[in-house]
Formats: sequence, C-alpha cells, structure tokens
Amino acid sequence: MEIRSREYPERSRRGGDVRASVTGATLTFDAHRRAAYAGVAAEEWRHWAEGVKTHLLTHLDRYLEEAEARLEANGAQVHWAGSQEDVHRILSGIVERRGARRAVKGKSMLSEELEVNELLEKRGVDVLETDLGEYILQLLEQPPSHIVGPAIHLSLDEIRRLYHETHGTEPDATPDELAAVSRVILREAFLAADMGITGGNFLVAETGTVALIENEGNIRLTTSAPPVHVALVGIEKLLPRWSDLAVFLQLTARAATGQPVGNYVSMIHGPRTAEDPDGPEEVHVVLVDNGRSDVLADPEAWEALRCVRCGACLNACPVYRQTGGHAYGAVYSGPIGSVLNPGLAGLHAAMPLPFASSLCGACEEACPVRIPIPELLLSWRRRAVEAGMDSRAKAALLKAWTAVATRPGAYRAAGGVLHALPDPVRRVPLPVVGGWREVRADPEPSRTSFRALWREGIE
Amino acid sequence: MREQVLRRVRQALQGRPRAPHPGTLDTGVPDAPAPVEHFADCFRAAGGEVHRFAGADAARRWLHGFAARFASVSHGAGVPASLALPAPEAPPRRAELGVSVARAAAAQSGSLVLSSRDGRRTQLLPPVHVVLVDAATVTATLGEALDACRGDGGSALALHSGPSKSADIGQVMVTGVHGPGRVIAVLLDDWPGP
Repeated sequence: MEIRSREYPERSRRGGDVRASVTGATLTFDAHRRAAYAGVAAEEWRHWAEGVKTHLLTHLDRYLEEAEARLEANGAQVHWAGSQEDVHRILSGIVERRGARRAVKGKSMLSEELEVNELLEKRGVDVLETDLGEYILQLLEQPPSHIVGPAIHLSLDEIRRLYHETHGTEPDATPDELAAVSRVILREAFLAADMGITGGNFLVAETGTVALIENEGNIRLTTSAPPVHVALVGIEKLLPRWSDLAVFLQLTARAATGQPVGNYVSMIHGPRTAEDPDGPEEVHVVLVDNGRSDVLADPEAWEALRCVRCGACLNACPVYRQTGGHAYGAVYSGPIGSVLNPGLAGLHAAMPLPFASSLCGACEEACPVRIPIPELLLSWRRRAVEAGMDSRAKAALLKAWTAVATRPGAYRAAGGVLHALPDPVRRVPLPVVGGWREVRADPEPSRTSFRALWREGIE
Repeated sequence: MREQVLRRVRQALQGRPRAPHPGTLDTGVPDAPAPVEHFADCFRAAGGEVHRFAGADAARRWLHGFAARFASVSHGAGVPASLALPAPEAPPRRAELGVSVARAAAAQSGSLVLSSRDGRRTQLLPPVHVVLVDAATVTATLGEALDACRGDGGSALALHSGPSKSADIGQVMVTGVHGPGRVIAVLLDDWPGP
C-alpha cells in the first residue's frame, strides 16, 4: 500500500477546491446517520456489535478455519494471502488458468489497498470499475476520496464536463442522462466479462457466506453474471454466526447512509449449484492479512480492526469535512484511516496523520462498533513523539503541556501566569498547530481566563 | 501461506483475554405494526411499490393488466404456473419485465429475500421487476427472515429493498442505475399451490 501522507500539510490546505462538495455530502450523510440511529435502539446495537467483533477478533484463528471449512463445503475455493504479493500471485493464477481478458469490479477499499487494478492491467486484463462513482474516478485516474461515496469530492459540473469530453454527452446533461450512458456501457461489460472481482463487507464463518452491501446493483451483477467471482476479504471482516449478519447489515447501512439496509445485499455461499439456473461456475474467496495480524498484535491499535468501513467517522469529522479524503494521501482517509494506516503501513510512513484531528470525539460517537478513535490517535501521537518522529521542541512542549494539563492546580497557576505576561510573550509557541499558524493571524488572547469567567457567570 | 497467516494470528492473540460472544440480539420492537403493513411502509419509503391481494384470482387480474404494457417477460424458476404472465417469454437480458418469487420478506428493513434458485438474471437485468410474496412469509425482523432461509440450498441469497439507485453524480439521486429502476412487491394473503 503506497502512502503519501507526508504531503498532508500542503494537500489539506488545497481543500478549498473540493470543500463545497465534500462538506455538503458529509453533512447530509451525517444527518441521515443520526436520524437512522434515532429510529432504533442504537446504543444497544452498537454495544452488541462491539462485543461480537471483539469476540471474533479474540478467536480469529478458530473462525478463519471454520469459514474456510464451510466455504469449501459449499464448493468455493479458499486462498490465503499474507501480503499484497500473495494476492497478486493468486489473482494472476486465476487470470492465467481462465484465460481472462475482461474483468468487472465492485467497489472495494481492500482492492485499492492491494493495487489490484494495476496488477490486472499489467496482466493484460481490461478491468472496469462498475460502481458509478468508481467508474467516474477510473476515467479521471483518481483514487476514491471516501469509503462509501468515492466521488463526493466532485461536483455535478465537473462530472458533466468529463462525460462531455469522454462520452460526447451534452454539456448540460442531467444526472439521469449521465447515469443512462454509464448503464449501457457497463451493462455490456457485465455480460462480456470473464471474471467479477469484489471485496466483502462480511464473511459469516458459521455458514461460509460472503455478504456485500450496495445500492446500484453493480455488485449483484458483478457476482452473478461473469463465470468467475473473486471476493477479496480482509481477515478482520469475519462474523461468527449467521444470526449476527442481519444486525450488522442494518447497523452498517444506518451508520453509512442512514438507510435501514442497503437496497441490495448479496449473500454468497459458493458457486452455482445444480439447483441454480445461472450464476458463476467458480467462486474464489481470498483471505487477506496484509498487515492485519500486526495490528491485531498491537495492545491498543487492534481495536481499529472492528471497523466495518461505513465511513460514519469521515462524515462526522470536522477536519475531513474541510479537506476531503485525498489530502490524507492514503487509501483509508479520515479518522479511521489515521488510526489504521500507522498499523498497516507503519507509523513512520503514516506520519503526520495521527495529528490530523482535533480530538473532538465526534468520530467515536458515530462509530457503529464504538472504536475509541481519539484514544488511538493519542496513542499513535505518543509513540511518534517517543520515537522522535516529531520535532524535539514539539515533544518537549507536549510533555510539559501533559504535565500541566493533568494537574488542576498547576493548570490554574499556569493560566494565571500566561494572562499576566506582556503581549509578545503571551503568544506562546503551541505544539502541533505550527503549520496552521503559518497562514493565519493569531487571535487576541483574552485578559481573563475561562475559569474566571465561569466563576463569575458568563454573560 | 495458510499456516503462516494462522500462526501470525495466534501469536498476535497470545496473552489477549478471550471475549465471550454477547448472544443473539433481538431487534424486534414490542409495539411494532403488523409485519405485512410494516413491510409495505418500509418498502415504499425506500422507493419500492407495493400491491396486496387476498388471493391468486385478484392478483392475477392485476398482473395481467400490468403485463399488457410490456412486450416481453422473464419468469423466475419458482413462479407458480397460476401466476405466470401472458406476455411472450424472453431471456432476462432482453425481457422488459422480470417476475420473481420472494423466499421471504422482512418488515423492519423493508427487504425481499430472493434465492439464486429463482434465477439471478431475472432479478437484475429487466428494467422493471415484479416480486410475488406469500404474505405468510413476511417476518417482523430481518433476523427472522434470514433464519427462515438458512440451509435453503442454492448458492446465494439476496435482499432487494428498493430500486437500483445512486447519488454518485453530484449527490443527485438517480434510479435504475444498473439493476431495475422499478421494483414492485405483490403480496398475496392466500398463496396458490405450484
């Protein structure tokens, strides 16, 4: 997985181009998520889902073996991949054996992480993204900027211009007209493809079932029309029981888009049987580690493996809303990306993403599996400072700040001292926000502390 | 590679306390409306259409009237002969209308449960999809519906809970992107034999 997070400070300031689109879309997603949580016993569901995933992760070896046995009994072929290279070797083998020339793909963050499209193209396979947003991004040669809405950073006008140039549609074509053009092209691709490639939202160990959530029907077609279906599934995506699936499907949809469930859910046990009139002859499930077992070994970061990739934390995040996903320079953006990337790719490679947060806690409140994202961000920050990855000055300041802020008496005293200092001295160098201050004027500090105002009664 | 991944997972879990499974979560609501009415409300809210009939005769009258607008139809393998439509049969990729049978339905999520045994292309390729539902198979929760379909045979199940839709173009909702733009649930209180 290639990460270009080093450029975060510069890229995040370029967010102005995408701000209107991203802020609008994330606010809408987040409002829908809140309404959908309010419609069910969301607190109970979230605690339960956290419990199921924690159980799953602490028994992961057992459930991987159970899933493998069930899938094989269902007639599916199971592959194990420790790394991206393993995945490439497995896919190349299938492509070669089938003589595959054309592939259709359902949206999959894991396939982005594993650079599957690049591999297939090198192998001479025409690969077409079939999710409408991903299709648009493939035309633009851009990566997705959001887990659920990959193209939310693009405005209608930008997409109109793209289709005008690439498909010859009218410059003022409606979204319906643009979708209709895409439908025709992609319908042909589904029916002509030699293989369909998807990720997997869940893999139920008890029944050997890959479950996929969507709204367009492109994943239904990708898994139904071509003669071969390959599902890439991260090892953390397992669920223990069939009875767990119904709740996870609904909770994920409510968190992601506020829907009761995605308009389409595919639940695939294996290849077409004698009882089926159609469907793929071969189903391959690739169980992918690619750094996940390292994250599992981490006494703190392993909690991030509960993630169901709903994108709720991106939508709730005041930082993501301003910058969009591309600024993060990694496949997984937003708050969850900032805690997952250091675990998957190494902290050094993912710097300074753990610092790209205000720690306001909105992400944790939105998370359907209650991942303590702010705590994990702090954990990575602490490690970065301890490893000297941040500047020494910032390290010292953070240390001093921690010493003061965790002792109320010292905090009060320090505040009093700061307020009494003359102006130039009062403008203390603050850790972390140095880049922020380079392009902004300092605010005028108040002469009275908040504590004092609070005591007197704020008017 | 299998052994390597499993060994790494086992090493990672050394010393980690094992958490128990919290048990089955019942998402049922005590004062929920009757399942069939609740299903109709939720399915409509997601953009689906719903018609309910007492039995095969009334359903057939409506279906024949509806089918008159279409030049061709693709029937799922499980559609009872008594409910088959009179329009000429066509393969799913050319049919103007697809007709399937739901294996079950769930009120809470407004979901039709479809089986691969009925034919996936019929469920997906025609632009309009009619799904026949035995009202007795409508459950309150999605968990109950999936439980009823466990070990059914067939290689896949699917939930269809509304029309195909996308907001990927400038956050404007469009329907009928890849799958059917219209999905119509036809509920029969009294289900005919095959």
